[in-house]
Amino acid sequence: MTPSRPSAAALDGVVVLDLTTRFWGSMAAALLADFGARVILIEEPCRPSPPAELPAAGARWDYVHDLVHRNKKSCVVNRATERGRTVVRELAARVDVVVTDCPEADLAAVGLDYASVAAARSDVVYAVGSGLGPKGPDRDLPALDELAAARTGMMPLLPQPGQPPVYAGHGQMYTAVMLAYAVVVALFHRKRTGEGQRVDASLLGGNMYGASLDLQAYLAIGEDRLLAPVARLDAGNPMSGVLYPSADGLWIALTMPDTDRWWPLLAEVTGLDPADPRFATHDLRCGAHRLELIAALDDAFRRRPAAEWRAAFTERQMSADVIEDYRYPAEDPSARDNRYVLDLEDASLGRLRMLGFPIFMTDTPARLRATAPRRGQHTAEVVRELLGYPERAITEMEREGVLA
Amino acid sequence: MSTAAGSGAGGGNGGASGGGGGSGTATASAGPLAGIRVIDLTMWFQGPVAGQHLADLGAEVIHLESPKGGDLARGVRSIKALAIGDWNQYFQVINRNKKSMAVDLNTPDGVEIVHRLAEKSDVFLTNLSAKALEKWKVTYDELAWINPRLVYALGSGYGPFGRITKPSFDMTVQALVGLMSRQGEPDEPPIYLGMGSGDAMGGMMAALGIMLALYARESTGRGQCLDASLYGAQTFMAAPTFQAYLATGSERYSRQVSRTDPENPLWNIYRAADRWLFLCVPNEDGPWRTLCDTLEAGRRDTGDAYDAGGAGGTRDAGALAGDARFADPAARRANATALVAELDRVIAARPAAAWTERLTRAGLAASPIVTFKDLAADPQAWENDYLLKTPCEEVDREVTIRGLPVGFSKTPGTVRSLGPQLGQDTELILFETLGYDWDRIGELKAGGTIL
Repeated sequence: MTPSRPSAAALDGVVVLDLTTRFWGSMAAALLADFGARVILIEEPCRPSPPAELPAAGARWDYVHDLVHRNKKSCVVNRATERGRTVVRELAARVDVVVTDCPEADLAAVGLDYASVAAARSDVVYAVGSGLGPKGPDRDLPALDELAAARTGMMPLLPQPGQPPVYAGHGQMYTAVMLAYAVVVALFHRKRTGEGQRVDASLLGGNMYGASLDLQAYLAIGEDRLLAPVARLDAGNPMSGVLYPSADGLWIALTMPDTDRWWPLLAEVTGLDPADPRFATHDLRCGAHRLELIAALDDAFRRRPAAEWRAAFTERQMSADVIEDYRYPAEDPSARDNRYVLDLEDASLGRLRMLGFPIFMTDTPARLRATAPRRGQHTAEVVRELLGYPERAITEMEREGVLA
Repeated sequence: MSTAAGSGAGGGNGGASGGGGGSGTATASAGPLAGIRVIDLTMWFQGPVAGQHLADLGAEVIHLESPKGGDLARGVRSIKALAIGDWNQYFQVINRNKKSMAVDLNTPDGVEIVHRLAEKSDVFLTNLSAKALEKWKVTYDELAWINPRLVYALGSGYGPFGRITKPSFDMTVQALVGLMSRQGEPDEPPIYLGMGSGDAMGGMMAALGIMLALYARESTGRGQCLDASLYGAQTFMAAPTFQAYLATGSERYSRQVSRTDPENPLWNIYRAADRWLFLCVPNEDGPWRTLCDTLEAGRRDTGDAYDAGGAGGTRDAGALAGDARFADPAARRANATALVAELDRVIAARPAAAWTERLTRAGLAASPIVTFKDLAADPQAWENDYLLKTPCEEVDREVTIRGLPVGFSKTPGTVRSLGPQLGQDTELILFETLGYDWDRIGELKAGGTIL
């Protein structure tokens, strides 16, 4: 029996078929589930090649699974059987949304591509996440964030000169949000017009969007300086975007692009002379005497420990802070109050921490209704409720290995 | 191929400020969000880019600015110590497809204009400080009382329950989240993920939140308040490693880890003869053997068009397959540093593209690590409209811009104009949308309430 939920979820009544295999694809569907959609995960809808790299084995808790499949229903259907394939196709014809990161050729082979699903349900919203976009000569390359990041041009730009390129792994997260955004836009359009459609986002699109300002600057200005890293002590604005080490080895980040506003305060806090003629105007600070100012600040910040700098920034309400590691958001009470981090109690594992919800909504908030399901936990329930199969047929399909 | 300026030929002709003349963006647009009006009281990047996503899909987005210079991003003059060039791409790209209204919110008449506009709008979007919103009487409580159907979207720094009150920017929040301190080689400075990297995520999140609220409104008839903060957006951005840290508490996920000490040496970056290569091979015996065979074939192939000259001196890559230190997945993990050193030597002998071609043919995943220059010529970026060309009135030529990251088969996004001139649509919106008569508009203008 499914208990009736309170009606306050943004995607109440929306049913999603989740044919994803990758972290970011599953996260896109999880966002929809967090905001109230009923998301039916079909386990192993295709074989991803190569498989995604998972974090170290041996963790006491399968935390990746619990994050990317929270709030979902799990169905195991044997696609090696014709009946199994029929069941999945029937499900696809009953849902509002299909989300997938599988190669489209694999899905076409089993009648689950957009054309086949739309033939059975014309107003379906069909969301495809790919590696490098649905068009172009390399559209069929594996949907790996690493390949897309390598192809975007941002990796060589991030480190100090002479250091190896940097893969940060965040590009795929833009893609996850884009795919969820596309689904909700398409649902909104469908609600107003009755029209469904195919929507798409890709890892290349996500990585490019994440590189936005650096990429756009190169496209507009075209200078080689924008293709390679700029040394920390050669930054364009000494007061914005430069990192300075403090006395205890922790680093300080400043963002004060409007230097006219901030210079008197920063000079006072760092013990520099606010009236120093070399730094009298924005143009001098960011132009002729930029390198001198960077050197002066680099020297000044080394004189006091990070905690003192933070206290000074807070007292004077300056846009600067200490560069922390993951301990900070993990322990920060306001990250909990905002539900960016959740504390859970698990019967067998005890207290667990999980990434929470990035969007706050007053009337239709995200909820954690359930941690990730066991494999096949909801197979019978979904087949019965969505497809109306009688109990006898379900038992028979279980016996024949079609359902599990 | 390109959908840029596909409609409304001529793009944003911003010369409407002289009176009732046709504004470039005034034509009714198509797209899935046609008919949705958004008040975009935003500045810099996080807020404006959220509005851009909605505007790309046909919403009428009104960038509300101060008559005294407007959005501070209009004043950006340089990027990385380089002159920004002859057009301000920072402002123009994220404010494309928008109208601009210049209203002084420090005057009662200005506040009244915004209140009347809120009554006729679907969304109010802002990333300005709570203090400014209170001063200008455009808080959620105030606007929801005027229009209960209004979706009120905040892009704050630290979230509705944050305790930090100082001004927030992308980097100062990214600093707290922990993303920066885990990047790069040990003992190198922390690494910021790029200009606007966190703002871009905050903007995308706000757009998603707005759509969730608009969708819910179709059933409930009511708007609501939402916040997509930089803090929330950037913890989400950190998900792959932050979730691992939350679960394990292991410093492996929070500290800098050298590329010479990877979990899986086959899934790592290597310096090829000309540039770096990303190798993505699972640590399994089958793929490992294929990798060794492919590297050895590449090394021996004297007919190869590429030869860096150093290949002859490298060790036989085929021997790696038989090396006991690398015999199985656990051994390869335990001897990762030694294996990285071996692979460094082999891969350094040929260019990244040559390796990629061979590895891909063998069914393994790899890619050269390119620069923006390569991306600008990549057919994947052009054929999927991730890059577009569009006319730029400011310089009277076509420019290349970041395109449409999300595809829609029946209601695609469009780029109809680049960022508006300050206040170019003020009078027309007052007259057509809000019903001010021309005498009153003249008074407001003379009094400095509008530009």
